Amino acid sequence: MVHEEYNEMLPAMALGALDIEDARAADAHLKTCVECQAFLAEWEDTAAALAFAALEEIPLEPSPRVRSRILEAIRTGAADEAPPQKGGQKRVEPSKVIAFHDRQSRWSAAQTWGAIAAGLVLLALLASLLVLWRENQRTKQELARLSNQVRDAEEQLSRERQAIEIVAAPGAHMAELIGTNVVPNAHATVAYDPSGRAVLLAQGLPAPPPGKAYQLWFIAGGKPLPGRVFITDASGAGTLNDHLPAQALNPAGFAITLEPESGVQTPTPPIYLSSKMS
Amino acid sequence: MSLGVQPEPAQISEVELLHAVARGDESALARLYDHYRLILFGLLARILNSREEAEDVLQEVFLQVWRRAGDFDEKRGRPFTWLVTLARSRAIDRLRLLASRQRLAVSAARDADEETSDAVADTFHAEQREIMAQALAGLPEEQRKTLKLAYFEGLTQSEIAVKLKTPLGTVKTRMRSGMIKLRELLGDQKKSLR
Repeated sequence: MVHEEYNEMLPAMALGALDIEDARAADAHLKTCVECQAFLAEWEDTAAALAFAALEEIPLEPSPRVRSRILEAIRTGAADEAPPQKGGQKRVEPSKVIAFHDRQSRWSAAQTWGAIAAGLVLLALLASLLVLWRENQRTKQELARLSNQVRDAEEQLSRERQAIEIVAAPGAHMAELIGTNVVPNAHATVAYDPSGRAVLLAQGLPAPPPGKAYQLWFIAGGKPLPGRVFITDASGAGTLNDHLPAQALNPAGFAITLEPESGVQTPTPPIYLSSKMS
Repeated sequence: MSLGVQPEPAQISEVELLHAVARGDESALARLYDHYRLILFGLLARILNSREEAEDVLQEVFLQVWRRAGDFDEKRGRPFTWLVTLARSRAIDRLRLLASRQRLAVSAARDADEETSDAVADTFHAEQREIMAQALAGLPEEQRKTLKLAYFEGLTQSEIAVKLKTPLGTVKTRMRSGMIKLRELLGDQKKSLR
């Protein structure tokens, strides 16, 4: 191809419209032809002016976030490598060259310092591991504690829901228990439905001593029949879900005593709370 | 509009901005963005027919400007031409990657309360837009169509020949004639188209 033929390709080249074979040939020619380089620059000016043909009467505005993202990217270094430098515009960078004659005399000192540094790093890592292990153990314990709390809260909620069902059931009964002179401020309510499901809500009862619990008693036929045991919290409140014994589906009354935490078959005086006898 | 032989002051400052970017000056890049965003975004939106794609490529363009500002040589071209050529190239690359084009509804691309902030740039671009519109109107329809297919749709001469069902030689002639005519019509005003 002669020079004039390359010259004729330049307008299309400026438009980016050369087919690949022509483009390769033109590129190769341009590497050595200063005249065509200058002509191409002029044709590229003409082609670039076509950008104004794309302008709307009211130009489209890019979102402000584009600008923000560009500046953020260059500040965080996300714009890949730093801008390349032209001659005479180099940034000053510290020299990374080490003089050759210095290298050998520094080597054994470097080895020693290197070993010390490595040892220190290892110690620091071991110390960090120990701290992390302890933290892990503490976290596990805390997690177990919280899990227990959640379980207790769920059980409490379940009991309270059941209490509502019992109280709201047709034919439900309620009995009021009053504190004796042992715990004069204590009070409790027992609600039970015809099926025998019962719920106890107590308050004002001091937390039982270790190994002890409060026990509910059903009074029927002149005899106290054992119910389940329960404990109270720091506020003195306690709940209990139970079931009336078959012999006490129409109990004459209820009572509460303090017993061993496993419960007993016969009540141990004194009585802490009792209901009116009917 | 000045038709002086000496470079306009604004053009010198754009050269200096690019040099400053090459030195790692972020504020210079921001100024370049502010100055060129409308013309570049308009071009990208025209080529890509998608606001989202155009914004994406616009970001890529300026990150490339940040990386390659050191390549710009004022002896070989103007900042405007360098930026527009770079932007068009990225847009055509993206166009070829996209599986299908989406129509750009101008009303959807424009926010209801969008305003173009730089009043001076508005006026300047309006004038340049008018210059280019008149120049293109002065071209024969076939030449105009050929130039637009090449520039805005990234088609090669062979692809244009296939699309228009026209011999390749005819396309080449129309393209060359169209560019010569366009350059004549723009005349000295081309210096202000930047």
